[in-house]
Amino acid sequence: MTPKTEAERASPILLFNDECGVCHLVAKWVAKMAATPSSAAKFIERPIGDDPAELRSLNESLDIWDAYETIHLLMPDGSMKTGGEACAEVLRRLPRTQWLARSLSIDIWGLRPFQELLNFGYLVLSDVRPAFGCESCGTPPVWLGPIVWARTLKSNSGAA
Amino acid sequence: MNIQTNSGPSPRSIDRIRTATSSTFEEQVLNAEGPVVAEFMSHGCSHCRALEPVLQQAAKTMRPAETIFRVNVPVEQELATRYDIDGTPTLVMFLGGQEVGRVEGPSPTLSTLLVAVTQPFER
Repeated sequence: MTPKTEAERASPILLFNDECGVCHLVAKWVAKMAATPSSAAKFIERPIGDDPAELRSLNESLDIWDAYETIHLLMPDGSMKTGGEACAEVLRRLPRTQWLARSLSIDIWGLRPFQELLNFGYLVLSDVRPAFGCESCGTPPVWLGPIVWARTLKSNSGAA
Repeated sequence: MNIQTNSGPSPRSIDRIRTATSSTFEEQVLNAEGPVVAEFMSHGCSHCRALEPVLQQAAKTMRPAETIFRVNVPVEQELATRYDIDGTPTLVMFLGGQEVGRVEGPSPTLSTLLVAVTQPFER
């Protein structure tokens, strides 16, 4: 089990699924956006990995199954943000997207319509992301299906 | 795979399935007295997540002599290669150190799962 480093104690940790194409792209984008010289935004982009105990060392209530199910942002104060709320927090901390994050805070009669929209958008993306490539189950992306079927048919006919 | 609605595992749930590693596999699975089910899985796999609560329930209802072990494929790639695991979840049933059956991506319902994991032992 690896204890938290000093940097991990001071910066939010963005957990992402390294085997998921979409998650990988998003994490890379966040790293790129946070890397501006004038930016005070610091994130630690960390692959979720395969060790439940190591994840719990970051936050006791963090479950590895949940971490793979939805985006998690571990805050320096020990709290966790997930799903659309985590996306909003990331946008709030990135210098170029703070204007967008401000719109997410707009409150109309107790409702935050733009945040709700983001939450919904995240849910949809979360459900369809395996179609864009996810190696977690060892299954190819849906769009590669015909190629895989053709290969399987070819190898079966070769074996017969 | 027919995924039925379930909320997936809960962080607070008791884990009834022990993890077998390459160093413990022989002792825990191959040298076991009774029937053993080895689930080759990955935490990132949504099908494994759907199966997890059902597997926990199955582990609860199975007899003490029967055991379910989890093999974490990304960590135990040598075991996955040895047992020719193409995708997760794959349940491999062992009796007396020999593989007696396997099922890939079983439907995550308790009845289907129990049939799948007990049938090979009844032959």
